[in-house]
Amino acid sequence: MNTTSCVGGNTNGSSSSAMASTGANPSNTAWFGALTGLMPALLLSVVLLVLWEGISRIFKLPEFVLPPPSSIAHLLLTKQATLSVAAWVTAEEILYGFVLSTLVGMVIATTIARFEVMGRAVYPLMVLFQNVPKIALAPLFILWFGYDLAPKIVLIVVMAFFPVALNMLVGLRSTDPNLVTLLRTVGASKTEILLRAQIPNSLPYLMSGIKIAITLSVIGAIVGEFAGASAGLGYMIQFASTQMDTSLVFAALIEISILGMIFYYAIEYLEWKYLSWGPKL
Amino acid sequence: MTMRITPETMMGTSLSKPDAVPHISVRGVSVDFTHAGQTNRVLHDINLSVERGSFASLIGPSGCGKSTLLKVLAGLLTPVEGHVLVAGVAPAEAARARRIGLVFQEATLMPWKNAIDNVKLLMEVAYKSMAKSEIADRAAEMLRMVGLEKAALKRPSQLSGGMRQRVSIARALAMDPEVLMMDEPFGALDAITREEMSEFLLDIWQRTGKTIVLVTHSIDEAVFLSRQVHVMGTGPARIIETIPINLPYPRVEETYSQPGFAVASGHLRRLLKDGHGRKVST
Repeated sequence: MNTTSCVGGNTNGSSSSAMASTGANPSNTAWFGALTGLMPALLLSVVLLVLWEGISRIFKLPEFVLPPPSSIAHLLLTKQATLSVAAWVTAEEILYGFVLSTLVGMVIATTIARFEVMGRAVYPLMVLFQNVPKIALAPLFILWFGYDLAPKIVLIVVMAFFPVALNMLVGLRSTDPNLVTLLRTVGASKTEILLRAQIPNSLPYLMSGIKIAITLSVIGAIVGEFAGASAGLGYMIQFASTQMDTSLVFAALIEISILGMIFYYAIEYLEWKYLSWGPKL
Repeated sequence: MTMRITPETMMGTSLSKPDAVPHISVRGVSVDFTHAGQTNRVLHDINLSVERGSFASLIGPSGCGKSTLLKVLAGLLTPVEGHVLVAGVAPAEAARARRIGLVFQEATLMPWKNAIDNVKLLMEVAYKSMAKSEIADRAAEMLRMVGLEKAALKRPSQLSGGMRQRVSIARALAMDPEVLMMDEPFGALDAITREEMSEFLLDIWQRTGKTIVLVTHSIDEAVFLSRQVHVMGTGPARIIETIPINLPYPRVEETYSQPGFAVASGHLRRLLKDGHGRKVST
């Protein structure tokens, strides 16, 4: 596979969050500027919430169908202790799963780039495996690894390593060939070229893969909990919906979203801080 | 930019007695490229020689194989026929002995490293036993030579195109090569910067006494800089003529308006048009 076709595959179809990464501007805009930039979105949110509240009150919708924002907010305040415990369980699953999938993806990409034979062995299998609907594997993992942390981590890794590996591989292969030539002329080994040129060059690409991986990790954790768990926000959503406690479903949903955003923007911050030299991907 | 082209430095370095043996010699070199089962001759029976300390240009239309020829000279490509000697040995061997410095059209710097760390790069790889401080000193010296000592800590993205190319030249010079091979080094720069960089390059050449081989498609650049211009034509690529440029050094802005300049560039222009017209295949 040549580099140009690889670049085309960079925004791989596995997630819509690739869109989000282009929307985020890692320039050092002042917080004030960022805030005024957010104003339209904030205003729209308020309008939508007011509409939602109004509709559920005017039409007197039963709370198990569509709870008004006010009662969700109330629940978020009064049941925060329970929600936080659940959120912590899910956060742990996401964090471990995400870190592990990033490591797995990086190792695979680096191995493929460094050892051509490995690439020819692993890459096609990796792409094939990418076409397996991984969510369908969740029950298997529960069967094999039990109800605790392990099956969730495995599910997340299986879901999230691919964008990391693929994006990093693109980055490793997009290293300026003239730079590689220069290093070779002064006697650099393949490993040295990898360490000095290819890996640093791949970091901005790796980062865009990581951003896809974190969103997939959140999904993986929730799906894993749906398949079988005794704690966590996903478990809470499932449990609450069997109890017709729709407000709690929404409350848990909000917590998951907050969790996802925290992870996402933490990564975006790291990118802004350390990879500002990179191409805007 | 500081210009220090004086008759003294000229006499001291590059205009010293010409060697009997050329620094670079190319005899009957041909190169074939095979693409999709079809073999094309991209270079045909190339002969040229470059004296030690000289400034030679390879000029020709796009696709005439001048970059390919430079790759052969740099030992990056092995010809199917013919012999190349750089400093008396095969180019690949000369490259291994760090006798060849390369500069490309793009500065090919590492965007994550600042200017001085970029200059250190090749030394760090090549001279593992060299002390860090020694490498740092030499890198700083090279940056001073290209007039960028103040930009040492800036990343490539914070430098202009001309400055980036200076860093790239400093990186090549840091290895103290005998020959500097440059592939359209100013091709990506605007006209004014190009002329500035031309004068800068002459200054560097006079001060270091390196042999320089420059690939360019700019007639003015070739005439302004070179002692000899090797004019290449297409179909298959060959050298049409080698023209000595007898304008005196130091060459400065006024050189462009000298009658000799106009004569030489007019001659080059005609040759290039003829060479281009005879194009058969690429």
